[in-house]
Amino acid sequence: MQRYSAFSLFRHALTYHENWQKVWRNPEPKKHYDVIIIGGGGHGLATAYYLAKNHGVKHIAVIEKGYLGGGNTGRNTTIVRSNYLWDEAAQLYEHALKLWEGLSMDLNYNVMFSQRGVLNLGHTLQDMRDIERRVSANRLNGIDGEVLDAEGVKNIAPLINISKHTRYPIMGASWQPRGGVARHDAVAWGFARAADALGVDLLQQCEVTGFDISGGQVKGVQTSQYGLLGAERVGCVVAGNSSVLAGYAGFDLPIESHPLQALVSEPIKPVLDTVVMSNQVHGYISQSDKGDLVIGAGIDSYTGYGQRGSFTTIEHTLAAIIELFPSFSRVRMNRQWGGIVDTTPDACPIMGSSPVEGLYFNCGWGTGGFKATPGSGHVFADCLASEEIPAMAKPFALDRFYSGALIDEHGAAGVAH
Amino acid sequence: MLNIYCPFCAESRSEEEFHYHGQAHIVRPADPDACSDEAWGNYLYFRANPRGLHTEMWVHAAGCRKYFNVVRDTVTYEIHRSYRIDDPQASAL
Amino acid sequence: MSNADQYAVMQQRPEISGLARSVFADADKSQISGVNPVRLNEIQCGHIVIRGLENDIKDVVQSQLELPLPTEPLSCYQNDAACIRWISPDEWLVTVAENETHSTEVKLRLAVEGYAAIVNVSGGQTLLQLAGEHAEEVLMKSTSYDVHESNLKVGKVVTTTFAHTQVVLRRLDTNSFELVVRRSFADYVFAWIRDAAAEFGVDTY
Repeated sequence: MQRYSAFSLFRHALTYHENWQKVWRNPEPKKHYDVIIIGGGGHGLATAYYLAKNHGVKHIAVIEKGYLGGGNTGRNTTIVRSNYLWDEAAQLYEHALKLWEGLSMDLNYNVMFSQRGVLNLGHTLQDMRDIERRVSANRLNGIDGEVLDAEGVKNIAPLINISKHTRYPIMGASWQPRGGVARHDAVAWGFARAADALGVDLLQQCEVTGFDISGGQVKGVQTSQYGLLGAERVGCVVAGNSSVLAGYAGFDLPIESHPLQALVSEPIKPVLDTVVMSNQVHGYISQSDKGDLVIGAGIDSYTGYGQRGSFTTIEHTLAAIIELFPSFSRVRMNRQWGGIVDTTPDACPIMGSSPVEGLYFNCGWGTGGFKATPGSGHVFADCLASEEIPAMAKPFALDRFYSGALIDEHGAAGVAH
Repeated sequence: MLNIYCPFCAESRSEEEFHYHGQAHIVRPADPDACSDEAWGNYLYFRANPRGLHTEMWVHAAGCRKYFNVVRDTVTYEIHRSYRIDDPQASAL
Repeated sequence: MSNADQYAVMQQRPEISGLARSVFADADKSQISGVNPVRLNEIQCGHIVIRGLENDIKDVVQSQLELPLPTEPLSCYQNDAACIRWISPDEWLVTVAENETHSTEVKLRLAVEGYAAIVNVSGGQTLLQLAGEHAEEVLMKSTSYDVHESNLKVGKVVTTTFAHTQVVLRRLDTNSFELVVRRSFADYVFAWIRDAAAEFGVDTY
């Protein structure tokens, strides 16, 4: 792999940047792999990368039906934080946040991780009680967090409207300074490039149409483009399409796929240098380095695989954003799009083995999977490489929906992002 | 934006007037005490999530406030059928 | 035991001396001038909701209100004393003159047999009339329902959304409409209509 550095930038400038090596190969697939990862989004690519890097797995393929990072990775609003309520979830997201902090160095690729802090607003007394509880729980887990009053919020985001005369006045917020945003495409590309350098085959435009299962053991995957590809183990990381793939393997998942929308404005000068989220009025907003306001809406109430959302949802979100930031009312919106999110009954992911031997699932990240990208890949790689499910993944096993040991994170996951 | 036919008001209305209530025709186990963990878990948490036709319950929240069922394609969002829960043909689906 | 013994029918406003205080008593009712303004008025009247099965109620409504029960969706019947609107397959909204509310409630209750509820909901909602050449355009800004006369015909009653709240909307004639709104949202609806109609002008009362 050609390393990126200030020196290489200078050297390539001398040849007008015409001799850069391709970022990854476009390989012919092998007939058989040690591990096949289905889904070339952030989570899938991260899984492949950590499998190759930490576990020395030699023959890995990532199969993607579209293009790398073209699903929810390229469609989300890029918020990264780890202030979840319950120990199991907090550990997992904090593990991810620690990996984020060194990710650009690790991948030799600038993922533009910016720890600009995340505000979760409270608008009612109950909101504030929940915030105090959650921040206390976070601190006990070694995760940074502060409870702010309305003035404290105003100090961090001066444009915000803390008037008492709005429909849902802001009473305060939780503040996680180490949270922030990252460049979503760069995350996919960085992991893809680093995985490719370790010999991982990235197979794009190749759809999985079924599994080869015999004797309750997965033997490979059936693909549209290359026919049958053999594998010792298969990991499914396909977000909104998880139920479809579980159906191919003959079992059900407690997942419902919903459309989730986001939109960006025209680029404007820097006005907001943090991330603001509100469960109560349901909106969240940050400003990208390019200057666009990045705004996320809620999920549509109904299930759907169309990568678009309904107008009422987005109208509601914009009303909320304008109440928080009246000065944004004249900003024009540039683009709007949707993704398919895989929601679970407890707003926590499902990670680990499946009823089929050798077939592993990592899904159910719902509306907030981006923040977990490196952690999810890291832990899922551990699942795929070892005989034992790692401790961090164990609470997220599918059987919690039978044992009743749910990890209810609706409060912390509250805003769909 | 969906345009949903309400079988009680006998006309199509905008999605805004309705609330979604999840998969239709879910049967509560007759004797929960005698249920296995698996059957109870399936009843509580596992819902059909097809890529294609889905039978689901809606309520005309801002209209006549009646519940009814809809057969909708989850990819194209086309609504194939809208029928009353007491429709004798309901079980034929 | 007669029906009257079974129910405790309360006269909600025992001593009527003139009209009740309007929910819009403190609203901004100043005129907004315009060439062809819309007129926005509150009609203070009694609201009674009847719930039950068609067959239990049909004869009661006929005998007590001298009106057929509207069983067709989105329809209504009206005479000089009362108007009865289809709201849901088992729910009807009756409006009568304000000082007839209690007596109407009592006589319906005395007459009804079977599984039914008759409730005076006058305290929970109020009725607005919106009229004028531009009234339809004002509604078009406020509801997702198609209010064109080819769809919302004279006499048709629809319950729908109105500026994110709810309305029972009826077309009285080509250029006039009746809106039954929740009392707690009434001042909001009032302010919304004034704003939506500002370009045409507004006459209130």
